[in-house]
Amino acid sequence: MRKGHIVALVAMAILGAQPSMVLAAGIADMGPGCGLGKELWRDQNTDAWGKQVLISTTNNTVLPFQAFGITSQTMGCKNGGKFWVEYKTNMFAQLNFENLSQEMAQGQGEHLASLATLMGVPTEHQAEFFAMTQEKYTTLVEAGEASPVAMIKALNNAVATHPVLAEVSAQ
Amino acid sequence: MTIWGPFLFSGVGVTVPLFVLAVTQSASATPIPDHSYLSELIQRASQTKLAESREWHLLLHYRKNVFGGYTSEADDPQFFLSPTGRTDPQAELDGTINAFFSTEHVGSSKQPAQCAFIARYYWLKSELQIDDLKLPAQTCERFDQWIAELNADSITLIFASAFLSNPASMFGHTFLRIDQKGQTEQTRLLAYTINYAADVPADAGVWYPIKGIFGGFKGYFSTPPYYLKVQEYRDIENRDIWEYRLNFSEHQLRRLLEHAWELGSTYFDYFFLKENCSYHILSLFEYADPTLHLTDRFHAWTVPADTVRLVVAQPGLVKETMYRPSRRTVIQRKRERLSVEEHQLFVDITEQVGSTKQEAFVRLPIQRQAFLLDVTSDYLRYQSETDKSHASVYKEQNRAVLAARSALRIPSEDLKIDPFSKQPDLGHGTSRASVGAGWRNNDTFEELAIRAAYHDLLDPEIGHTQDAQVEIASVSVRHYNRADQTRVEQVTLVNMMLLSPMDSLFHGLSWKINAGMNTIRFGRCQLCSNGVLNGGIGAAKESHWLKREVVFAFAEAEADYSRAYQEDYRVGGGGTGGMLADVSDHWKIMATGSYLKYPLGEKSDDIRWFVGSRYTLMQNWAVRLEYNHRDRDNDVVFSVQAFF
Repeated sequence: MRKGHIVALVAMAILGAQPSMVLAAGIADMGPGCGLGKELWRDQNTDAWGKQVLISTTNNTVLPFQAFGITSQTMGCKNGGKFWVEYKTNMFAQLNFENLSQEMAQGQGEHLASLATLMGVPTEHQAEFFAMTQEKYTTLVEAGEASPVAMIKALNNAVATHPVLAEVSAQ
Repeated sequence: MTIWGPFLFSGVGVTVPLFVLAVTQSASATPIPDHSYLSELIQRASQTKLAESREWHLLLHYRKNVFGGYTSEADDPQFFLSPTGRTDPQAELDGTINAFFSTEHVGSSKQPAQCAFIARYYWLKSELQIDDLKLPAQTCERFDQWIAELNADSITLIFASAFLSNPASMFGHTFLRIDQKGQTEQTRLLAYTINYAADVPADAGVWYPIKGIFGGFKGYFSTPPYYLKVQEYRDIENRDIWEYRLNFSEHQLRRLLEHAWELGSTYFDYFFLKENCSYHILSLFEYADPTLHLTDRFHAWTVPADTVRLVVAQPGLVKETMYRPSRRTVIQRKRERLSVEEHQLFVDITEQVGSTKQEAFVRLPIQRQAFLLDVTSDYLRYQSETDKSHASVYKEQNRAVLAARSALRIPSEDLKIDPFSKQPDLGHGTSRASVGAGWRNNDTFEELAIRAAYHDLLDPEIGHTQDAQVEIASVSVRHYNRADQTRVEQVTLVNMMLLSPMDSLFHGLSWKINAGMNTIRFGRCQLCSNGVLNGGIGAAKESHWLKREVVFAFAEAEADYSRAYQEDYRVGGGGTGGMLADVSDHWKIMATGSYLKYPLGEKSDDIRWFVGSRYTLMQNWAVRLEYNHRDRDNDVVFSVQAFF
């Protein structure tokens, strides 16, 4: 049993085991981050997972209530909101990769604006973010084709080294 | 009303075991209920006849049944807190009040009753003025987190227009978007939606639409993010989307979400025609604002566009309407802005990305270069979705186009794209009744006709998908004066036609299918019933000589059954050519000619002509003059048509 796991169990005992805590316990990896997200984003083949999502989307595998009441905790996120936001950002990048690469090349668009918002870039500075993605289009898309996590990482690095965006973004 | 129900994320395999785990966790010790307060509340509820109130019926989805009692439309036994709750509103009310005293986990979502049925709880709390000291309010952490995650500010009703290629989507689809606080027009993609759809297993088979009509599937609510829905309708299925921002108060919004939470863990048997996506969306509106009477307007079927019209007709309910074009619409509108030379470049680049090196391209201003590359990228993405077998080729081409585009360091202009057909609320009603009169050969007649649904190519096109005909269940009755005979002239079971104009870039086929009965003159028989089954595949082309015309041609096969034939039947094939033309905004004409030869059964052939002309008087009124010719059989009818 890993250390993180023990910590979580202790925490559950102390906090009186709310349902959501128990939910989280269902996930093997109890380290910080979102359990489900970690499984999905680790070393994964982007395309395979994208397909899987689309298959389940079109095949319509609706299971009772699983799709309802989705929150950071039902998705197995620990340690609060930060990982959930990261998880949502990765999910968004994965599921909208085609739209995002188009809009990065075009230097604007609603998918790109939504991504910027998820990444904490304030609306008034998003034009700079768009210009940056257009400039780095080739590297970003190459990274994105390997995995959305890599693309988000590359974007985060680009934001962190950008003279303006680094200052204003809530990272 | 889609039967397909995309749901949120594919985390199914992981989340389900989690909920199972939650079940194994025993509830904390149940406090001893205050029996005197329980009976006091039940008595108070009975005195004020709460079980008979509209809101209670809305919460439990009760409908009057044929025996004069009530039955709930919900089909999940766990939705009820009394064993007889499905048919007994009073017993359910008593059972519910009782359950609120317990922390025991109930319902499919395994929560205390106060949390699982949180809308019922808050409603009863206010109606019965429940004292928190005598019946303590429990914390509902899961619900609170969900509400926090939704961060709801308002509700938008979304209509995805008809998609004929999937029988489950041929009338369109509606769902709700939960707009978030602080959301902008750019970030509305991130909002969650509330979608209701049938759970159709992957192995449902080709007859699933039939099963869907008779309640053979279970329907569930789900909350996928809006970006997934936009992708499905705009990018994959090329359907225009209309967004109706609604004007619910904060309190009404809260009620809507509370009730959605209750429904999120239950199911209803899905009836494609009536208890479908649109119907259940209306039921959420009714609980949000009980003064709205929406679901009881629908008896036999609930057509999504009708529900949109009904919502728009409620005073003050719709704040604003927005249009989101499909990818195909975007491409068509952008093409209109290209010069002949630019259009040629566009076609060249779609075939060979290297064409951007052409002199003609290089000397264009940078904005025009960007515009051309943008529409090319749109088209390549459209192709990768519609021509799946070559998707990877288009994707690669698109990458190259986008790489060239990213080298032009200017942002694309924000273009306003206009729809080809106006919003659904301006469209004519789903059903149609007509009164007409005319001549047939040397007789005169009067005619009454009624059609259940939905739209034919000559009907007023505003608010409907262009060039798409879906007629279901129509019948016309005529009285012939000279023959002194009243007869069923025509019956249509299904009559669908899709004209899909082709050009250098779009290659989709047109198709038609018709099953029904008509009246023919054949041999010695003057007025004979004739069963028809006809289907064809063809091509169409659009032009703009007058206003807008579509010419089309079909190759088709037909089987007829009639006593008029010596062998009772005939089977053959042939072709139809025709034209559909808008003369003005109100006036449309259609002309077709067909030749069919029947080598099987009664050996014969048939030449047919049809010319029809329709003039729109108002949204729901039109007049028509139609001429039908078959072998020695001429028929002219003038009719007035009302839609409702």
